[in-house]
Amino acid sequence: MKTASVNMEAPPGNKEKRASGLYTEYKRRRKILLKTQGTVFGVIGLLALWSLWGTGFNLLSIITGTYDMFVFMFTDLFPPDLTAIGSLIGPALDTLYMSYVGMVISVVFSLVLGILAAENLTPHVIIAKVSRAITAFLRSVPAVVWAIILVAGIGLGPLTGTIAIGLSGIGILGKAYAEVLEGMDKNQIEGVRATGAGWFQVMGQAVWPQFKAGFVSWSLYKLDMNIREAAILGLVGAGGLGYYLQSSISLFQYQTAAMAILMIFALILLVEFITAKLRERII
Amino acid sequence: MGETIVDIHNLNKTYPDGTVALKNISMKAEKGEFIVIIGPSGAGKSTFLRSINRLSEPTSGEILFMGKDIVKAGKKELRTLRRNIGMIFQGFNLVKRLPTVRNVLHGKLGYMSSLKGAFGLFDQDQVEEALGILKRVGLEEQAFKRADELSGGQQQRVAIARAINQSPQLILADEPIASLDPNSSRVVMDYLKKACREEGFTTFVNLHQVDFAKEYADRIIGIKDGEIYFDGSGDDLTDEVIEALYSKEKEAVAG
Repeated sequence: MKTASVNMEAPPGNKEKRASGLYTEYKRRRKILLKTQGTVFGVIGLLALWSLWGTGFNLLSIITGTYDMFVFMFTDLFPPDLTAIGSLIGPALDTLYMSYVGMVISVVFSLVLGILAAENLTPHVIIAKVSRAITAFLRSVPAVVWAIILVAGIGLGPLTGTIAIGLSGIGILGKAYAEVLEGMDKNQIEGVRATGAGWFQVMGQAVWPQFKAGFVSWSLYKLDMNIREAAILGLVGAGGLGYYLQSSISLFQYQTAAMAILMIFALILLVEFITAKLRERII
Repeated sequence: MGETIVDIHNLNKTYPDGTVALKNISMKAEKGEFIVIIGPSGAGKSTFLRSINRLSEPTSGEILFMGKDIVKAGKKELRTLRRNIGMIFQGFNLVKRLPTVRNVLHGKLGYMSSLKGAFGLFDQDQVEEALGILKRVGLEEQAFKRADELSGGQQQRVAIARAINQSPQLILADEPIASLDPNSSRVVMDYLKKACREEGFTTFVNLHQVDFAKEYADRIIGIKDGEIYFDGSGDDLTDEVIEALYSKEKEAVAG
């Protein structure tokens, strides 16, 4: 009782002091915030300047460069050689196959690695770490580099491109899947586990319903990216439209090359359109 | 009456950080008993319930259920024991994206082969049974809605239906009404008690609300600081006992 009555009297005297104390605290925090913001923007600005200097950026070359680029586009690339379409269909299909099969390879291996890497599903922490290390390694090597290495082993052609895309895809999807899986609501899993469900049953009935949307969305996103990558991979000899583009450029057949570029463009738009529709349907 | 369903001896649980949650708990529960467990937050009520189906691993002790020691059960044995123990959670723990009826069907997973269960290949009898149970908890019209479209009280009734569908010997309900309004709380408790009567299973319910405990329980157990502090009927639970159960002596002295 005594302490209670003392407490009752205390506030009025303290109120003003506390308010002004709070205000200085507010000012102090505000200052710190401004300082940090200043530092962050300062660092970003300095880095930008450094990079501009490092890349030898100058405005003049952009202006003259743009002019030369347009000259090149209209005199050499234009008009695209429409008669080349027939011979482009094969390579275009190759690019499509490479992207799709590459995605399937990534999905299959990423599912295993992703489940092993997700902290809430892994059989053991060490297995999770190993799985993470494997995906990190596969991710850190770009598909083009894989392709260059594989060309040496497997030779020129779409198979090389497919495997290169598949390998680098495992790196990306494995990480993405693991993160989606780790974001799951563990209460829902516990609810199903408490019914006496086994591992496969928990995976099918509690994990999959939560994982599905993220799984579909990431896999289709990878398919989108694969189409672009497949086009680039062709430049190092991994088959498809890129390969065709590369060979026509080295033969100075710019109008055929222009047709190949248009084809790549069309293919990317087409696949993006289809995956967007699929995503809407499934999710 | 008289058949012992759960027989617990010297159950202990110490968390890895050294917190002692349960100290030498021993008790027996008979078939069909509706037992409400009360006690202050952090007393170990939740840990106690979760130890019984080993969602939380006990440190030592013995839990005899259907003549087997749950604490020593291997993986396969644990699954068989778990399917005979229905669990109801504070947060319902339904799979939110799945339809209501599928959540009820999950009660049958412990009786199915791994693959059939994983792909949700429930047969006609199982589906009819699940729909029948949903009707019993008054939710037949919500059967094909996604679980997260239902209100809290309705979700908890789905959870009860899932537990009933396990044809359990024992139901563990961990704060089943803590996140519900008084009205839905009453409805959920009524259904739970009714199911306990009709199916004849034993029920352990953790509750914060002493008035609900007195109203529904056949027997009340008070847990304080990881130990059984009170064990008796609602009439024996006097105001003095309740005050002593919930008082925190150390804090009172310090304050």
